[in-house]
Formats: sequence, C-alpha cells, structure tokens
Amino acid sequence: MEAVSQQIPLEHFLVLSAILFSIGVYGVLTRRNAVLILMSVELMLNAASINMVAFAAYASPEAFTGIIFAIFIITIAAAEVGLALAIILRIFRNRGTANVDEVNALKW
Amino acid sequence: MTVAQLIFYVIAALAVAGGLGVVLARNTVYAALFLILALLAVAGIYILLASEFLALVQVLIYAGAITVLLLFGLMLTRVDDLEESMVGAQWPLAAVASALLMGLLITTVATSDWPGDADGMITRIPFETLGQALFRQWAVPFEIASLVLLIALVGAIVLTHDEEGDVEETK
Amino acid sequence: MNMSDAWVLPLLPAAAFVVLALFGPYLPRKGDWLAILAIGAVFVLTFPIIADFTAALALEGEAFAGVANSIQWMEVPGHLELNFGVHVDGITIVMLVVVSFVALMVQVYSLGYMKGDARYGWYYAVISLFVASMLALVLADNFLLLYFSWELVGLCSYLLIGHYSHLRSAAEASKKAFITTRLGDVGLLIAIILLWRETGTLNIQDIIAAAQAGEVGREILTASVVLLFLGAMGKSAQFPFHVWLPDAMEGPTPVSALIHAATMVVAGVYLVARMLPLFELVAGGMEMVLAIGLMTTFLSATMGLVMTDIKRVIAYSTLNSLGLMFVALGVGSPAAAMLYLFTHAFFKALLFLGAGSVIHATERQDVSGLGGLWSKMPLTAITFGIGAFSMAGLPFLAGFWAKDEILVALLENKIAFAFVLLTLPLTAMYMMRVFVLTFLGEPKEPEAHEHAHEGPLTITVPLVLLAVLTLVTGFVVFDQVGRAMGFPGGIGDVIYLHGPHAFDFNVAVTLGSIALVATGLGAGWYAWVIRPELPASIMARLQPVHALFANEYYLNNVYQAIIDHVILAGARVVAWFDRNVVNDTGIDGAAYSTGFAAYVMKFQQTGKLPNYALAMVIGIVALAAVAFFKA
Repeated sequence: MEAVSQQIPLEHFLVLSAILFSIGVYGVLTRRNAVLILMSVELMLNAASINMVAFAAYASPEAFTGIIFAIFIITIAAAEVGLALAIILRIFRNRGTANVDEVNALKW
Repeated sequence: MTVAQLIFYVIAALAVAGGLGVVLARNTVYAALFLILALLAVAGIYILLASEFLALVQVLIYAGAITVLLLFGLMLTRVDDLEESMVGAQWPLAAVASALLMGLLITTVATSDWPGDADGMITRIPFETLGQALFRQWAVPFEIASLVLLIALVGAIVLTHDEEGDVEETK
Repeated sequence: MNMSDAWVLPLLPAAAFVVLALFGPYLPRKGDWLAILAIGAVFVLTFPIIADFTAALALEGEAFAGVANSIQWMEVPGHLELNFGVHVDGITIVMLVVVSFVALMVQVYSLGYMKGDARYGWYYAVISLFVASMLALVLADNFLLLYFSWELVGLCSYLLIGHYSHLRSAAEASKKAFITTRLGDVGLLIAIILLWRETGTLNIQDIIAAAQAGEVGREILTASVVLLFLGAMGKSAQFPFHVWLPDAMEGPTPVSALIHAATMVVAGVYLVARMLPLFELVAGGMEMVLAIGLMTTFLSATMGLVMTDIKRVIAYSTLNSLGLMFVALGVGSPAAAMLYLFTHAFFKALLFLGAGSVIHATERQDVSGLGGLWSKMPLTAITFGIGAFSMAGLPFLAGFWAKDEILVALLENKIAFAFVLLTLPLTAMYMMRVFVLTFLGEPKEPEAHEHAHEGPLTITVPLVLLAVLTLVTGFVVFDQVGRAMGFPGGIGDVIYLHGPHAFDFNVAVTLGSIALVATGLGAGWYAWVIRPELPASIMARLQPVHALFANEYYLNNVYQAIIDHVILAGARVVAWFDRNVVNDTGIDGAAYSTGFAAYVMKFQQTGKLPNYALAMVIGIVALAAVAFFKA
C-alpha cells in the first residue's frame, strides 16, 4: 500500500458530495416521470459513495471499509434499478402513465 | 493551486453540471445523458481518491449498464414529452428544502474537525488486497448481495411478466 | 413416601382433571376410571404418610410440630417472597384421611348414581378438581396456596351445585352459594393481606409465631381475626351466611355428601382450628366463635324439625354439626372439634349417600312422597339409620363419642353448655322424624314405593363401608385405641399438637346426654309412629312458630329485600355512572374525537407521492437542524 499525496483536503470531497446529494433530493422532489426520479436517486447514491470512499482514503486506509461499502452500494443500486424499472413498467401498463403525481392511490 | 487540485475542481464542476442537467433538463433523454456525464465525473473523483478499481466498476456498471437500463425504461414508458409536464408544481418549495439541506450539510462539513492528513496524504489500495478482503473478510455480505441481486432479478421478471389476461388483451 | 412428599397428593387428581377436561369425551367411559384411579392413589399414598408421621411422633414426642417443604415461586428482593409448599401436622393428617376416603367413596358411588347423566364426564372432571383443591387447601403451608385452593373449592362447589344447569333452581342455588361464600372470602383475603403487611410473610406458622411474639399490632390483629373468621363463616355456612347450604342441595346428592357435608364446608372449621392461636390472642375472639357456633346450632336444629325435603333435613343437620364444631373451637378445644369433624365426615356422608340411594330408587326427595321403604330397601334403611342415630348421638356410634367430647369441653361455660344440651333432643327428634317418615309407616305414594329397589353394588358398597366406619371411628377417643394405632399419648395429641389435650370421659355428662338423646328419640317415635296425627295438630296450633321455622326465620326474605332495595339501587346508580360517564363520555368520547379528527385530517391527504416525499425531506432537514444547533 503506497501513500500518495493529492494535496486536496478531505472537506472538498465532502462538500462535493453534499452538493450532489442535494441536487438529487431536488430531482426526486420535482421530477414527475418515475424514471427520472430513479436517476435522481442514483445521484444521491453516488454522493453517498463519494463520502464513503473519501473517508476510507483519508481516515482509515488500513481497513478501507468505505471502499467495500461503495462496491456494495453499486451492487444494490443495480438490483434497485432493475426492480424499480419493473415496478414502473407495471404501473405504466395499468395506469397508462409513468408520472408519479397521477398515481394517487395513497389516498382515502 | 496544484495540478491535482485543478483537476479536482474541473471534475467536480462536471459532476455538478451533470447532476443539475439530470434534474433540470426538459428532455428525458438529455437527462439520461447528463446522468452519464455525472457518473463518469464521479468515476474521476474515485481515481483522485486512488480507488482505480471503484472507478472501473463505476464506468462499467453505472455509466454503462444502469444508464442503458434507465434509457430502456424511458423508452418503454414514453407517452409524449410535453415540456410543461416535466416538472411538478411543488418545485419552489422543493428548491428551498434542497437548498436548506445543502446549506446544512456544507455548514456541518465546514464546522467539524475531520481526521486525515492536512496535506491530503492518502493510501492507494492494491486490487489484490481489495479482492482478498472482499472474498475473505466480507464473504458473507458478498454472498447476501448476490442473493439480493438474484431476488431482484426474479422479482423484476415476475412483475413484468404478462399474465394471460393481458396477453389476450394485446391480441 | 415421606411427609415432605405430600405435595404429590393434590397433583394426582389435578392431573386427572386436566386430562378429563381436555380429552374426557374421547376416553372410554368418559374417563371416570381415571378420576377414581387418581383418588384411589391418593388414598393409598395417605397411609405411608401417616406411617411416617407416627414414626416422627414417636421419635420426637410433643415437640414435633409438623414437617414443611416449600419451594420459592417468585421473589422481589426486600419486598415480597412467594413460596408454595406443604405442611403436614396432626390436623392435616386428619383432613387427609377424611378427604381422600370420602372422596373415594363418593366417586365410586357416583358410578351408579350419576350413570346416564348428560354431563357425566364433566362431573368427574370437576370432582377431581375439587379433590385436588381440597387436598392443596389442607396441605398448604402458606396463605397464598391456601387462599388459591379456598377459591378453587368454592368454584367447584358452584359448578357442582349447578350441575343440573337446565333447572332454574339449580342455577339460582349455585349463584347464591357462590356469592354468599364470596362475601366471607373477601374478608379472608383482606385478613391475609393485613397479616402479610404486618409480618412480611405469608407462611402460616411464621405468622402465628410472629403474632405470639407480639409483632402484630393489636388493632390489626383484631381486624384480621374477625375477617379470617368471616371467611370461615362463609365457607362453613355459619349464621348469618348459612342460607346457601340448604339451597346447595340442588346439586347431585354425591356432591352434597362430599362437598357440602364432609369436606368443603368444614374448611372453615379447619381454618379456625389452624389459626386458633391468633383467636386466643384477641380479646373476645373465642367468644365470637362460640356465639356464632351456638347461634347456628340452635337455629338449624329448629329449622331441621319442620323441613320436608329429606336432603334439606340433612343439610340442616350439617349446619347443626358445623355449629357444634365452632362451639368446640370457641371454648378452645380444637381436638374435640377435629374429632367431631372426623366422625361427622363419615356419618354425614353416609346420610347423604343413603338419601341419594332413596332418591335414586324412588325419584322423590320429599318425605311426603316416601315412607315404608324398609321392606324394599333394607340395606339402605339400616345404613341410613346408623348415620341418623349417630347424628342424633345414640350411644356407641361415632357421633356420640365426638359430641360428648364437645360437651365435656363445654363444662366450664355454663350458658353454652345449657344451649347445646337444649339442641340435643331437638337433633335427636328430627333425625328420628326423617328416618320414620322415609322408611317406616305406610307408603304415601304407592307407585314410587312399588318401583323402589336397592341400587347397584357401586351404591351399596360405599354405604356399607361408611356405616362400618360410623360404627367404629368413635372409639378412637380412647387413648388405648390411639396408642394401639401408633399414636403415642392417644389420638388427641395427634389432632392438636400445640397444647396437648387428652380426651376426657365424664360419667355425669355422658349419662345426661344419653338421657336427653333418648328423650328426643322417644318424643320423635311417639309423635310420628305412635300418634302420627299429633304433629299436624301441634303444627296447626303453633302456626306462627311453624311458619317461622319452615320459612327459615325469613332470613332469605330479609336478604332478598336488602338485595332489591339497597344493593340493586346502588347498582343502578353505578350502572348509570358507568353507562353515561365512563362509557359514553370517557370511552366513546375519546373514540369519537379521534374519529372526528381523522375525518377532518383525511381531506389534507393528496395521495401524491412527491408531496409526501417533500414533507419527509422538510422533516429531516428540521430534525437535522435541531441536532446541528444543539450540538
């Protein structure tokens, strides 16, 4: 394990992660198309991954748990996208739309 | 400003631009392409963090496979891309909430003490060490993750599989 | 089988109850053999315990205070320790013999008597539960187990009185019995709690020791003794709680023999005998017991004189006997009381089973429909006669010896002595009356007489065995007999160890009591055999007195009036409060306001996912802000 100096403070990565995450939240809240909401969720997941990897690199290089976590996040994201798209397809077939605000079954 | 820092700012700017494109683009396919840009930029961030393996996985799975899957999803659920139908009515409130969240997160980052080298010294993890850890120390979570994948696969097939009544209808 | 293993005894019938209650209908003969097997095993196992007891007695003599064996059930350190355990001493041994033998006889008898009953299996299940609870009651070394079994026997009594549940009178009688005894049981419970609060233990021997050491405050001790006695009065049907016992005759006759003559109703006597040291500590405690006992004895003797239902007559004679036992306790002679209890169990069970035999044969239980059965049922007549004359106190039968012990113990107290003497001829008279009207004279209903016949062996064998015991058990009063049976110092020492009491024999008292009993019997013979028209004319002349006796001193009417005008009136107020305040305002009000709030709020739901997500994010931001600014 060799040490390299990138001369970038940890905070930079954390701030980038925070910005990306908030953008993702905004997308989830405003987008109407379910597939686009899914994309925004992917943005949030990536923001979280950046956090993990940055902490792994700076704070605990001997354990690198963060990197392992990032790998698992990517794995789960793949599963999630597959499943979510299947659900969206189902809704689309039943309701003729993939817009979440037109699917208001969560109502009295 | 060192070269490395310069590269970081460029990549970070690309990532943010891509992210904003995903949430703001009026065309769904453009949004998907912006997502690819953002994901590739994140792969660049991983390289800056000396995690080449993760960067590779990011490009292959995220930027490659998942985005293609999302594009398929877009294609299959496409009705019409009327521009005014892209953004929900609650966007001003959502913008305020997201901005508040961002402010809170950045303030937290700025006001906290973080461990790690002030010079930005980081450790490069060799592929071999990573593989050893994944298949020894993390073997059980690894297996569970594979099981999750399998279940998701089966679930996706079951959900999208046409029942007999639906088939009759399409005929 | 040592004394400390006695905890096995209640478990056997309890297990039989569980099996019968769950699987009874699927067993051959509905499982009656299982119940009899269990009680038979208990009866057999009693003997090694007695042997162990006599051995310990021979070894330690008067110092022997019984064997206790208990396990901890739960503990709250520093506050509460609950134990379950058994304690075997002389009183327990007496009760064990009585309960196991009479229960065995009654269960065998029921094979014939209850045959074809619609709820035959359930009957045997409840009888088993009763035996288990009764054994636990007499074995208990602590008030917790005692109270638990005390309530269980009450429950079994309730279930069995109401066995013929299709009869309204049986249902009413079972309710009456349960509620009346319950009044006393509440007293017992409060007494137990008071004593526990004062001494910090539920163990009976420890409580007695603590009270004798003066660790219990005088007022608390007085209150708990009175309340304890209230429990005993309810269970043993003492005046003024006695009204439930005659009505309890609605149950099957074997049940009357077991529960309402031999075992459960003497639980009160047992309790007072066990706790007598506490009564002695309280000023007026013994006098209270004595007064209640005398009252019950006298009232029941007069009422027994005019009853026409054969079972009710015997029920009043049971009240009579129970009163006598309390009289003996009240003058500080538990040995005499326990001896009477012991002999009474046999001859009273015999009387009831004999009456059951008559009822079984004729399907009538009012003496106006009986008579002349001697020729048809000689065995029943003879055994019933032995029981009746034992109750009357005819010399050399069991009741005679036991009654004389009580009389001797009473010599100190002239008033009580006179009172008891007064009841002797009355008792003799009504026992003679019921015997004459049932078995002698002309049959009053020829077709009933026509069909009468002796019952099967399951009915006659218990009768004969109990009659034999009635003939011989009285002789245990003699120290020689006691020693021969392995009880050093005579049986009196065994029955009551604390303050040994040798059974006395006073010639003057004995002759006097024989004379009085003979008078009573003679008067009965004269009135109902020689001049059968005489009782009717006396009744006509003393109409008010007869009405008073026949209506049981109008106590039932008084109670009914109290229930109607005081208790039910209060209940209506409570019911109004419950309906309007507790239910409509408290419970329904809360439910309606919740429902109304939900009705108002549900229109705020859009059902759209993004709205919910936004609300969630705002919430998270708010929470994060709180966490951030607090830190």
